[in-house]
Amino acid sequence: MKYKKIESIKKIKKYGLPFPETIFIFDFKKQEEAIDRFLKNREYVAIRTDSAKNTDFLPYNLRCHKKKAKKTIKKFNDEGYAVILHEQNHIPSGVINKNHISGNIVILEKCWIIELMRGEPLSSLTRKGEISEYLKIRKNNLTEVAHWGKRIISRDILDKILRMIRKIPKHKVIEFTFRPEGFYFWQIREDKTAKKLDK
Amino acid sequence: MTPVLAVAEKSIKSATANKINIFLMVKKKIILTGITASPGNAFGKVRIVKTSGEILKIKKEEIVVAPFLTPEAVVLLRKNRKIKGIITDRGGSTSHAAILAREFGIPYIAGTGTASKKLKNNTAVNLDGGTGTVYEV
Repeated sequence: MKYKKIESIKKIKKYGLPFPETIFIFDFKKQEEAIDRFLKNREYVAIRTDSAKNTDFLPYNLRCHKKKAKKTIKKFNDEGYAVILHEQNHIPSGVINKNHISGNIVILEKCWIIELMRGEPLSSLTRKGEISEYLKIRKNNLTEVAHWGKRIISRDILDKILRMIRKIPKHKVIEFTFRPEGFYFWQIREDKTAKKLDK
Repeated sequence: MTPVLAVAEKSIKSATANKINIFLMVKKKIILTGITASPGNAFGKVRIVKTSGEILKIKKEEIVVAPFLTPEAVVLLRKNRKIKGIITDRGGSTSHAAILAREFGIPYIAGTGTASKKLKNNTAVNLDGGTGTVYEV
């Protein structure tokens, strides 16, 4: 069985990018102890899912209280989903934290496309189209070739992110959040259609 | 070639050139700009879509204009291959709708801000997905 989202999270590790503490749960009963250890000393967790059959619009609970976490994980497992359990130390929905910037970076052959929104979760951008800024930057000299929207990220922070992802090959999409305490990379996913944006 | 035929040919050429010039002049009238979500050109009449269910009702080859394409609407895109192009107020090149539009080869301009308010049903438009520009025709 191939879990695309889980594989894409493992790739973050491969490229040495920072990501939240995470465990994958395929069998609730067998992994109950690991879940208990993960929940210990945490108030909230983020629960995402993955499926070998369906990759679109998977269920999630991005801010789940620890008291409800095990029930939610079991429910998703029973429905046939693999569960991705992340540490959660902020409020991802309802409140837009202007200090947080989330975005997707599309890696093209000669350019990067960067799409950004204020706050979290990033699914607001992907699923609801809440985009605040769009940039296209040339890889060789970091020149900005296109810009749309309001400027919400400083060039220093953006350059730092671009330096971190330099080694990642083309036609992949990187999902990230910038918070004052640092960067979080959520996944590196394949996008075979991205090559059409190269033209 | 007889002088009469030469004159006729010249006038046809001139008329064709005028038509091209007129087309180019009209084509250059930009109505909206946005983000390239799926490249390609499309020409067609606008169909404003307010609910995702309306996507299934599109029978003619039209250009879908909507505030945004929700996950439900994206699923319906798979079922209706009549759609010639897409223009939305919100969104970008990394939304689910954009990925699907590229997969199906449907030109798509996202992030226009006001397309669903500014454009009216049956308005003929020319969509250039490569530059993210909508022209009036």
